[in-house]
Amino acid sequence: MTPSSFEWIQIPYALLTLFIVVNFGMLLTALMQKIGARVGRRHGIPIWQNYADLIKNYALRTSITHGVMFYLGPVFRLSGGVGLLLFVPTIYGSVMFANFSFAGDLILALYFVFFGTLGMALGAGESGHPYSAIGITRGLSQVTAAELPFALAVFAIALQYQTLSITEIVAAQQGGVSNWTLFTNPLAVTAAMLGFLGSMMRPPFDVVLAPQEIPIGPPTEYHSSYLALMQTNRAIFPIAKIVVYMNLFFGGAASWPVFFFKVFCIYMVSVFVGVVFPRFRVEQSIRWFLVWAVPIGVAAILLV
Amino acid sequence: MVNALILIALGLGAAFLIGLLPSRWRGLAYAITLAALAAMAAIAGGWVWYFAMEGGQALEIHTAGTPPPFAVALHLGMAEAVLTLLVTVTSLLSAIYLKDTLHRLGRRAMAVLLILTMSLAGIILTRDLFNLYVFIELMVIATAGLVLLSASRFALGAGFKYLIISQLVSILMLIGLIFAYHATGTLNIDGMADAALITRQGGMLAFFLLFIAMLAELKPFPANGWALDLYESAHPAFSAILSSAIAGAAALYAVDKLLLIGGTEWLPVATAVGLTSFVAANLLALPQDKDRRLLGYSSIGQVGLILVVIGQQDILGDDYLFIAGGILLSHAVAKAGLFWLSGFIPEQGLSAWSVLRQRPLLLFGFVTFIAMLTGLPPFPGFYAKWELMGALADADRIGVMILLLFAALVEAAYLFRWFGYVIKREPNEGIAQPRPPLRKCLVVHSATAIGWGLAWVWGELSVHANLLHALPLLFALGFLLIEGLPAWLKNSVAIAGLLAWFWLSYPGYDPMQLIFGAVILVGGALILLASYHAHGKRIGFYPSAMLMYAGLAMLIVAETSFQFFAAWELLTIGSYFLILRGKHSEPHALSYLVFSLGGAFLILAGFSLAAQGADIFLVSALSELSEPLAPWIFALLAIGFMTKTAAIGLHIWLPGAHAEAETDVSPMVSGILLKAGVFGLITLALTMGKQQLFGIELTHVMLWIGALSALIGNLLAAFQEDAKRLLAYSSIGQMGYALFGIAMMNHLGLLMALMFVINHYIYKSMLFLSVGGIAKRTGTRDMYRMGGLITLMPLSFIAVLIGIIAVSGVPPLSGFGGRWITYNAIIDIETRLPLVILFLAGPIAFLYLFRLIHTIFLGQLKDEHRKLKEAPFWILLPQMIFVVCLMIFALVPGLALRHVDNYINQFYPGGGLDWAGLTITSQYGYWAPIPIMVVVGAIFATLFLWLVFVNRKAQKVKQFNIVFAAERPHRPETTHFAWNFFAPYRKALGFLTEPYVTRFWETISEALHSGADLTRRIYTGNGQTYAIHLLAFVVAVYLLGVGL
Repeated sequence: MTPSSFEWIQIPYALLTLFIVVNFGMLLTALMQKIGARVGRRHGIPIWQNYADLIKNYALRTSITHGVMFYLGPVFRLSGGVGLLLFVPTIYGSVMFANFSFAGDLILALYFVFFGTLGMALGAGESGHPYSAIGITRGLSQVTAAELPFALAVFAIALQYQTLSITEIVAAQQGGVSNWTLFTNPLAVTAAMLGFLGSMMRPPFDVVLAPQEIPIGPPTEYHSSYLALMQTNRAIFPIAKIVVYMNLFFGGAASWPVFFFKVFCIYMVSVFVGVVFPRFRVEQSIRWFLVWAVPIGVAAILLV
Repeated sequence: MVNALILIALGLGAAFLIGLLPSRWRGLAYAITLAALAAMAAIAGGWVWYFAMEGGQALEIHTAGTPPPFAVALHLGMAEAVLTLLVTVTSLLSAIYLKDTLHRLGRRAMAVLLILTMSLAGIILTRDLFNLYVFIELMVIATAGLVLLSASRFALGAGFKYLIISQLVSILMLIGLIFAYHATGTLNIDGMADAALITRQGGMLAFFLLFIAMLAELKPFPANGWALDLYESAHPAFSAILSSAIAGAAALYAVDKLLLIGGTEWLPVATAVGLTSFVAANLLALPQDKDRRLLGYSSIGQVGLILVVIGQQDILGDDYLFIAGGILLSHAVAKAGLFWLSGFIPEQGLSAWSVLRQRPLLLFGFVTFIAMLTGLPPFPGFYAKWELMGALADADRIGVMILLLFAALVEAAYLFRWFGYVIKREPNEGIAQPRPPLRKCLVVHSATAIGWGLAWVWGELSVHANLLHALPLLFALGFLLIEGLPAWLKNSVAIAGLLAWFWLSYPGYDPMQLIFGAVILVGGALILLASYHAHGKRIGFYPSAMLMYAGLAMLIVAETSFQFFAAWELLTIGSYFLILRGKHSEPHALSYLVFSLGGAFLILAGFSLAAQGADIFLVSALSELSEPLAPWIFALLAIGFMTKTAAIGLHIWLPGAHAEAETDVSPMVSGILLKAGVFGLITLALTMGKQQLFGIELTHVMLWIGALSALIGNLLAAFQEDAKRLLAYSSIGQMGYALFGIAMMNHLGLLMALMFVINHYIYKSMLFLSVGGIAKRTGTRDMYRMGGLITLMPLSFIAVLIGIIAVSGVPPLSGFGGRWITYNAIIDIETRLPLVILFLAGPIAFLYLFRLIHTIFLGQLKDEHRKLKEAPFWILLPQMIFVVCLMIFALVPGLALRHVDNYINQFYPGGGLDWAGLTITSQYGYWAPIPIMVVVGAIFATLFLWLVFVNRKAQKVKQFNIVFAAERPHRPETTHFAWNFFAPYRKALGFLTEPYVTRFWETISEALHSGADLTRRIYTGNGQTYAIHLLAFVVAVYLLGVGL
């Protein structure tokens, strides 16, 4: 297949996508927090809390730095989120919101996820705070197992659709709900969604940030505008990741309303699980993924 | 042409003449001895010249002017001439060596030496059985005389035991002789053969007695306890004669002659006795730590090996003399040389030989001898081994082949362990530096020179090309001559040589060879830049390194299986020397060598089977092989190549070898050397393709091995505390990917393997250099002892950062290309299960990569490191060049891959990539390196500028400006979270890292050692026990040869 190539107009279009997603992400993550709080009979944060935090962080008058890598950590992190978003077409069939997907296919998205993770880990490492390092070991350990069912699922659907192009995979799912991968290849989707739980930083897989246990994991030393950048990423990254899931498994989105709805629903899966189950330790979550999620993924690639 | 009788008369006459001299005139007696030996050697040399150069015909010499059976006849042909030369030269050199001793012992000893030499020549020349008996008696008496003349009490005992056994042997021989004469009416060997002795009544028994007597002279296992004592206690110069002339030449040739009478039906007996000796003696030598006893075992083993060749003469045809001679002369020269050397060593322990380190020329001799014994190229044993295996494979004598190769491996193991001691161990306290007189040194040097001369001769005689004509090898050996020059000069020569060879060769390379050629030659030159950092002369480094590069350069252009195998052995031995240079690398280098030679022997077996008797076998002809042999050949070759890529199960040598090597050696052996295995595997996959063994697709097995290597390599890397070990384990993982790619047997799989070849070379060389530079500065390789070095070593940090991003496969660097091709390749394969393992392995790479950069550069700086400087310039320079290469390769991978992608089409048509424009397109997906780089760069730069803008007033704080656990830390050691970094991971998956494989190999090694130790107890040192051994041996051989 031949992808379209670059034109300058794509830059403002991409910025528009980014703008929409950032705001949607800000509101959505707050909403999810709120839903989680309500389940626990708490009131929860106001829906605009993320904006307030962002403004506050940028407005802080003093800030410190531990060195170059500390400085670059958040830049890596946010570049990872923005890049992931922009390498994947957001709205199916729309030239305007196809972003820079001409640069690479599904594999690019799959591997670019780690760009931010790695950079962030490096930045946090330079702070010299042991809690950051502990958080990183937990995060990296967990992600190795959590990514596995997702990778298997991706491979299964690449086999199923005989393509690695996200656009073509979405195209193949058009023409009714029953064409979604969710129904044509439920095993792969199950495996992927179990992996999804591991990457959303919600219970039972949130020991990496672990509120209360160690203050806040990798970002321990981050503050002010560094934290602002990372917060922006926290709004973008889950959405970007969910966009990949949506495109691969749930038929993609042909318009923004559908997009908002589907992203909300997929996000809700992790919230549902999160409010029900307590937290795993790292070795427990590794074993859990290997015992429960991976066999489903293996079945998916064998039966496709 | 001098009459053979004159040679014998010379020895005898000189001995009598000495007897007539007054005993004070020792100088004159010694001069006469030397002159007589020299004249005998000259006569024998003249014969060799006559047969070799003038094409002379073999002669029958009749004494008393009458043909046999009425008089003794001698036979003089090429073999007799060469053996006589060997015997006389050995005696001459030993006599020179023994000057002091002979002076002390007086004329009687000299006369005995002359008689011994004369009798050996007689044994070789005579065709008369009784005459043979007489010469053997003379030899026995002379041997015992020389041993008993020695002052040591132990030697006295040994000599006495020797006499006991020899009398037994003589009795057997005499009885046999009588019966044989009675049956045939002649004493002439040819006459007896014509009269078909063994078909006559009692003839079989008569022959058996003769034969067993001669066999016993070879000191076969287990009837050889007395011989070991003799080797151990006699004067080393005499042991040299004993090993190379008596057992090695004369007795073996006598056996060969006797077999003319016995005919082909006795050949299997010779083979069986020889094999038992070769295997058992080498196994018994394994736990041995006394040098002369070890040499004794090795002599017995080598003689056994030649006996096997004699036993196989029915299938060797015209090559018989070439093979037997190659092994025999190698053994004789090397063993004589080693025994002479042992005279310089003040103690009998193997470690004591480390005093040789002070004498480079003697050390060179030592290496030469060991290489000759092991049958390494370019020595005669190598050519002989090759031809022998070819013949055995052709005749389907697989069992003999397996046992020979196994024992040869054991032999190489203990010989090179010894070499490791010499290079690495310190002699015991108080050992004086030996100062051997020049005369003795010259004797050893002449053995060395003869060894190299034989290497040349055998190369010329071989139907294959003479290895000593190969330019790369000569270039490598040339460094031996300029060892005295300073290292920087030699380094420049080496770099120039590599580049020049690339320049000369590259027009002839196909695209695939070009990739390997560039990695090996240009890549090698690049890594050598780091070697400018070394000071002094760096003795030994350049010959070794260049030997490895020569082997590699010859490997990729090898057309015949012989060239391929020779190159393989050269690169193995060169890299072994190179690895051995590391400070603590002695055991690791040995384990590398044993695995590599084991692999090489499998390759040898594979090629031998494939050639099916043909002299020249083209590597490309592997594709024409068919069932049922083809899958076996595939398996042998594949396992052989996988020892080099350190596939799981065969990987235990790699971590130590790569981690303990010197700073600039690690990138060579990791970045470049491992690719030899990949090259072999690619060749194999392209020629032989898919093979089934017992219904199992072998490439599927390789898929599993590749995937498991990737997983276990990565997992173990994550748990290392030593930075270089971490990188070494990571290589196992990376090579697992390459193996997986090859085993996929499709277009993109191969491309992926080649991508890994290039990528792995660049980033692993870069990382090994960075880590090496850091280790040089910090004095440790343990990562948890470091930390916070980013500000002190920013350039090293950049190299490691770029390196780990590339290894991990994160876009936009070149590692991603490898991953992208992998995904495209795997969509086509049928076996999907191993993929699960490969997928699991992928993210684990992040664990070790992050650990590498974090624990070294980030976190808390240690107090003792506060004043460290950046790594040395010459170590940094190649790293920076690698960074640039990596960037270029990331942006335009087509530069290197496009042509090879086209080239692969002829093996796997279709399924390639489309390289048009900026986007690389496959059947399934697409990838545009430059736009990815631009997009990522633009986002990154924008955000960075934004952060700089909003955060411009950020205050740089000092170390420890953090708070945790309600206090502000002040000690880096307690704050740097580094040791056992992935503890939770170990809890979850640690069971996968149990060293099962290591335990498996250790158990084998342990079993061999303790088995040998147990068997060794049969040698009680008691003469009577030894006599019983001999009788038991006689009975056993009788049952084997006649009774069964």
